[in-house]
Amino acid sequence: MATIQEIVSRETPLAPGHRMCAGCGISPIVNTVVAASDKPVIIANATSCLEVTTTIYPFSAWKIPWVHLTFENAAAVASGIETAYKSLKKRGKITDDVNILAFGGDGGTYDIGFQALSGALERGHKFMYVVYDNEGYMNTGNQRSGATPFGASTTTVPAGTHSFGKPQWRKNIVEIAAAHRIPFTAQAAVHNLLDLYNKAKKGFGADGPAFMAVLQPCTTNWHYDSELTIAYSRLASETNFWPLYEVENGKVHINYKPKERKPIEEFLKGQRRFKHLFKPENKHVIEEMQKMIDEEWERLLQLEAAQVRF
Amino acid sequence: MGEKILMKGSEAIAEAAIRAGAMAFYGYPITPQNETPEYFSRRMPELGRTYLQAESEVAAINMVYGAACTGTRVITTSSSPGISLMQEGFSYIANSDVPCVVVNAMRGGPGLGDIAPAQADYFQATKGGGHGDYHSIVLAPHTVQEQCDMMYDAFDLADKYRIMVVVLVDGLLGQMMEPVEFKDWADVKSYKTPDWATVGQGERSNRNIITSLEILPEDLEKMNLKLQEKYRTIEEIEVRFEEYKMDDAEYVITAFGTTARIAKTSVNMARKEGIRVGIIRPITLYPFPYAVIEKRVNQVKFFFDVEMNAGQMLEDVRLGVNGKKPVYFYGRLGGMVPTAEEIYTAFKKQIGG
Repeated sequence: MATIQEIVSRETPLAPGHRMCAGCGISPIVNTVVAASDKPVIIANATSCLEVTTTIYPFSAWKIPWVHLTFENAAAVASGIETAYKSLKKRGKITDDVNILAFGGDGGTYDIGFQALSGALERGHKFMYVVYDNEGYMNTGNQRSGATPFGASTTTVPAGTHSFGKPQWRKNIVEIAAAHRIPFTAQAAVHNLLDLYNKAKKGFGADGPAFMAVLQPCTTNWHYDSELTIAYSRLASETNFWPLYEVENGKVHINYKPKERKPIEEFLKGQRRFKHLFKPENKHVIEEMQKMIDEEWERLLQLEAAQVRF
Repeated sequence: MGEKILMKGSEAIAEAAIRAGAMAFYGYPITPQNETPEYFSRRMPELGRTYLQAESEVAAINMVYGAACTGTRVITTSSSPGISLMQEGFSYIANSDVPCVVVNAMRGGPGLGDIAPAQADYFQATKGGGHGDYHSIVLAPHTVQEQCDMMYDAFDLADKYRIMVVVLVDGLLGQMMEPVEFKDWADVKSYKTPDWATVGQGERSNRNIITSLEILPEDLEKMNLKLQEKYRTIEEIEVRFEEYKMDDAEYVITAFGTTARIAKTSVNMARKEGIRVGIIRPITLYPFPYAVIEKRVNQVKFFFDVEMNAGQMLEDVRLGVNGKKPVYFYGRLGGMVPTAEEIYTAFKKQIGG
């Protein structure tokens, strides 16, 4: 088991000087995931904050092989790389083993890239797909996505007199991925890099596709002070808004169970996207949110207890 | 007409579409036009109309297709890569004879390109774009005001011909703030559901069928010929263009949208120095105003086409000129916007200045 000191002392795939916002957690996520690989890593990156901020023409922050592609096709391109790699290896043109990694934001994963993701998981390519989930289209200015939580105000579901923000609950992308019967899926968050590292290690080691959703609070569009990214990520787990768990060979294991679940208000307060929920007329929204979180957590506990395979 | 308001182009176009009777908007985020869907997302629910953010451009255009089949005034807005994803839907919409409006805020390409203003989707917009023999009506405004006025025309033309109308703009018109005056609100309550719409048979004796499919080639040919007939009618009566200082012109600049606007300044610079140059600005890019080009062929010494691409409308200008006079070209690519001085200098080179 590696320690944090060991992980951070490894060479990072990202060079300093990329243009991510101050307080953004994407680079520690990328550096930690790649650090978990004991083989060279090839990255396919969908259009997203990560892609835009690391490749401001004519520069690149990437020290490892990296390809950008259309918004909807990270998983498809990763499939292509994996297939070509297998073919080259079979013909004896390559001898080294590599890990193939796809990165996408939540828009490129939950929404437009969903079809390609599902296809790649179903075909069983040996690769890992990581979505860093900042709960909206942050690169284009905070439009709602399939990952945007219930009640959040975004530029395309603005809260106001006719709306309390997004009226739908977010997609459970981890369970959707697990339903493809792939060997490893997990939910992680940027505040717990050791947990993320361990999961990435399992993902790379899996005999088939692996999928991880990593929560990445967005200082710019959740609207909070940039020093609070890790604090909000931690609160997301402590409120059970974003449980840390994994599904290994179909079986659920919860990695973190708060001793005392904090009320969801703790996570919501201070974020401008939820500010309107603290008006008296929106009290019911927070109540409904709390109810859904508790029900989902209860369901997850039951899944873990039952050990019934996905 | 109301009072003049100072508005950003990308928001004004949404307000104009709403006043022109857009009852439903379907779209997907893409820079540089996110302000347009965001504006719709605020205004449409206030008016009890539909705003829906799809999971992709492919989904968005097929939602537009669905709404268009009910005879509802429907719109989507996007930018070049998003428009590329919609092409299959455009082709289905064309052969299904349903009306809709699509705004393309063109950006630099090909591929991911950039998010700066460009005009490189001219071919894609005017020659079809998707598969099969089809056209959409393509309108190219050059000011925020014209863009707003054109939204009314776009919906009217779409309904009149049961056709897709493309409003071709760019990020420059979108980000620019100008005073605009909106036309009166369209009286949407007076609109009747068209008799071809698929909204349930009701009292009708026949069932409406909307399709782009005909399995037998002889039937599909007939379907195609009907479409072509529609295009000939449109080419005959819907051509629009602006002539600027053309009466005494010895030279003509051809340009559309943003470049035409910049070229007007270039023309005024030339005029100050006594050079008699004018502009032919196609407003409908399809149908293209070939006739006015032909009309001016004998009057002018040469044509000078200016675009923010590698020479796309140039091909239509050449078709109109038909080899009778030289056609020169000046273009900037990849999101570069030419200045008026730059165009003037390039133009002067051709007259030996």
